[in-house]
Amino acid sequence: MSAVVSPIREPLIEGGKTYHQITEDICSPTERTPSTAWVLAFIVSASFLALYVFSVAWTVWHGIGTWDLNRTIGWSWDITNFVWWVGIGHAGTLISAILLLFRQKWRTGVNRAAEAMTIFAVICAGQFPLIHMGRLWLGFFIFPYPNTRGPLWVNFNSPLLWDVFAISTYFTVSLLFWYTGLVPDFATVRDRATGLRRRIYNGLSFGWTGSAKHWQRWESLSLVLAGLATPLVLSVHTIVSFDFATSVIPGWHTTIFPPYFVAGAIFSGFAMVQTLMIITRKVLNLQQYITLQHIESMNKVILLTGTMVGVAYLTELFIAWYSGYIYEQFAFYNRVLGPYWWSYFGMMTCNVISPQIFWVKKFRRSIFITFFMSIFINIGMWFERFVIITSTLARDYLPSSWSYHYPTWVEVCLFLGTLGLFFTLYLIFVRVAPVIAVAEVKSILKSAGDQYIGENAKEHAHADSH
Amino acid sequence: MNQFTFESKQKTILLAFMGLGALCLALSFFMDAQPAHARFWSNFLHNTVFFTGIAFVSLFVMTAFITAYAGWYVLFKRVWEAYAAFLIPGLVMLGVVILGLWTGWHHLYHWADPAEVAKDPILEHKSSFLNKNWYTLGTLIIVGAWIFFQRRLRSLSLAEDKLDSTGDFSLHRKMKVVAAAFLPIGAFTSAAMIWQWVMSVDAHWYSTLFAWYSTASWFVACLALTILTVVWLKSKGYLEQVSSEHLHDLGKYLFAFSIFWTYLWFSQFMLIWYANVGEETVYFNTRRHEFPVMFYGNLFINFLVPFFILMRNDTKRKYGTMVFTSLIVFFGHWWDYFLMIKPGVLETASHLGHGEDHGEAAGHGAEHLSEAASHGADHAGDVAHAAATHASDFVSGFTLPGLLEIGTMLGFLAFFLFFTLRQLEKASLLPKNDPYLEESKHHHVM
Repeated sequence: MSAVVSPIREPLIEGGKTYHQITEDICSPTERTPSTAWVLAFIVSASFLALYVFSVAWTVWHGIGTWDLNRTIGWSWDITNFVWWVGIGHAGTLISAILLLFRQKWRTGVNRAAEAMTIFAVICAGQFPLIHMGRLWLGFFIFPYPNTRGPLWVNFNSPLLWDVFAISTYFTVSLLFWYTGLVPDFATVRDRATGLRRRIYNGLSFGWTGSAKHWQRWESLSLVLAGLATPLVLSVHTIVSFDFATSVIPGWHTTIFPPYFVAGAIFSGFAMVQTLMIITRKVLNLQQYITLQHIESMNKVILLTGTMVGVAYLTELFIAWYSGYIYEQFAFYNRVLGPYWWSYFGMMTCNVISPQIFWVKKFRRSIFITFFMSIFINIGMWFERFVIITSTLARDYLPSSWSYHYPTWVEVCLFLGTLGLFFTLYLIFVRVAPVIAVAEVKSILKSAGDQYIGENAKEHAHADSH
Repeated sequence: MNQFTFESKQKTILLAFMGLGALCLALSFFMDAQPAHARFWSNFLHNTVFFTGIAFVSLFVMTAFITAYAGWYVLFKRVWEAYAAFLIPGLVMLGVVILGLWTGWHHLYHWADPAEVAKDPILEHKSSFLNKNWYTLGTLIIVGAWIFFQRRLRSLSLAEDKLDSTGDFSLHRKMKVVAAAFLPIGAFTSAAMIWQWVMSVDAHWYSTLFAWYSTASWFVACLALTILTVVWLKSKGYLEQVSSEHLHDLGKYLFAFSIFWTYLWFSQFMLIWYANVGEETVYFNTRRHEFPVMFYGNLFINFLVPFFILMRNDTKRKYGTMVFTSLIVFFGHWWDYFLMIKPGVLETASHLGHGEDHGEAAGHGAEHLSEAASHGADHAGDVAHAAATHASDFVSGFTLPGLLEIGTMLGFLAFFLFFTLRQLEKASLLPKNDPYLEESKHHHVM
């Protein structure tokens, strides 16, 4: 990494931090007694998790009939939630792998939490295909293995099976990547601890000593994992889009789906990162590590991907008309002006129109607006999947079988319940692990700390860098 | 040496190649076996779109880099500025295509023939987009807008050179505004232009991914050409500070975006193949059965070659390997555009040349297929196959690029380079007041 820094770059670490202060600031939250805010948040999240367990039990006990699905609308909230969660689970790996390749230093402030969030989001996503089976205990049927079920075998031609492979691979690599990054930081926490805590963190850090050999292996492994993870960022949502696009259903079968789904996934992932980061930096007092500069960069990614998604929406509309294919035309007419017009309207407003305010620097750097927009985008991206899935299925080729989906309380509770699962896991994470990658932030201190670059840089420090 | 001089020997060589290109164009015009000089006109369109696209994409990349605070590329950014200036000759050449459209000199586009449109409900439906007015106005306004941004960016960049180097970044801030404004405009308008220039050659066919796919193809071609130009300039003693570190990053871009191109290729192909809707599969059926070498070769040279050569770290840092790979990949994406344009033009031409009956069987299979589709998708595939085998004769200049096509391409390339080098001559190769210059000079990858 270049030691020479352009004078127009802004610092990414504020407050003239020393290496010791960085360790102190980031590790100490795991060493303190939980704050009241954390305890309250944990109680709320765990209650929603309990609600989730209850709804799953209800679904399994009474069957999928407790959901408002029928022959016309065979997929609705279940797969909408699935795709929504998988999409959210994209930002972490994008930040850790692709932004690493692009040498974006600002990623170091947010990568740890984003990767954690990725893993939790994929866990939430993975729930839905399983619950949708109705018979959870047969979940292992999705794996192809020599079995005693005779000719009963998975369908290798089905994108749903490819999804199983794609998501389990993604989950594995993301987990490894995240954990690899955590190893030296766990060792840092260990070095500050005593007694049982020290032994636990020693185990978690695999006895890391920080020798040159350890760092060298650690860097090699990180590079290999980054290489593996980069295609995965694209492949996962590509294959999710294949679930729809390989069909011959008008509105689903369109070639732009793979890259457009990926762009949408990154968009929603970053929105969720913003939601979490804005709260985390405030609660754990990490504003000097997750600066306005970080938030602004993420807002730019949001603006970019939101606009890409917008280009894709308009392309779809145009080509539906251009194709001259009446079923395709109807599908899009129905999407925009049919009974589900409100969800299309919500999608367009939240995903394409409102993020355009981020053209203005003042808004990109406003915490309040960013937080508000991040929630807005998460809603919009949920609507997008709902529009694609439910509004398309509700009106198929036969008007006699047209239907309308009214979610039952079970479906609503399942969705709210996964939010409980997600936030419970996240809250545990902020208690046990450093939420910012200590070692990586230290690696950019000399090139991004505000005592070295920017307006407040000390003169001698500036001379050092040349 | 920061001041490039375009030597007369270089001019002579490039002019000789331009002469060769003109000769090949003339030969293909007069010796054309196809009706309405389809070989000549398709070669002209192919190269015009390909090289104009490279100019567009270099402008797009620069604006993206400026917006994204990229610093490493600054040492050779004048090369991209010079490429982008080719939009002006590009517009002139597109003007020739437009002129031919109005005067009926060519029949590149099935939709441009009122008689055909009248008896074809699909074309009639599309006629509010696929018509001469839109084609003309769209091209003039949109490429005109690109040129506006290109000139604005270039003049700001040149003005920056004249500043006293006291940390005055006001011009850079202006460049950021121009760059950010261009990004969405470029993204939306390039799609519309690709639909008109390229996708409408197969006037019945459609694919939502097509615009992104062809833009990716332009981008990879632009990267390959950039590597070649940078290495050539270095071999002449210019761009001393551009090192194997910069080459490595350009190599990574070439590697990554070759894979990205393949990803889009696969997405488009696989989804159409899998769903097997007659109106869509006709496109790939024609290409697989009548242009098998082009079709599979496309994947070989644009995916396998860069993938395997550039996977290692060290290959991306070696000048020889990078030049070799870039040459292949640059040609590969020219080949890709050949495959996008030629089959459709050939069908339109065969429609014209042999009258109604031939057109029924081998021509635009889509009408045929849409009827067949109602009988089931499998049947539609059979019809497409039958239509394809019917017309599987070798057609010079279409089935494979012939010597005339290669010669034409070299001519256009020489024109492109001639124009680029003229632009490079106009300013210092080193943008001495760019705020990222020091970063670029001290760029280290490993």
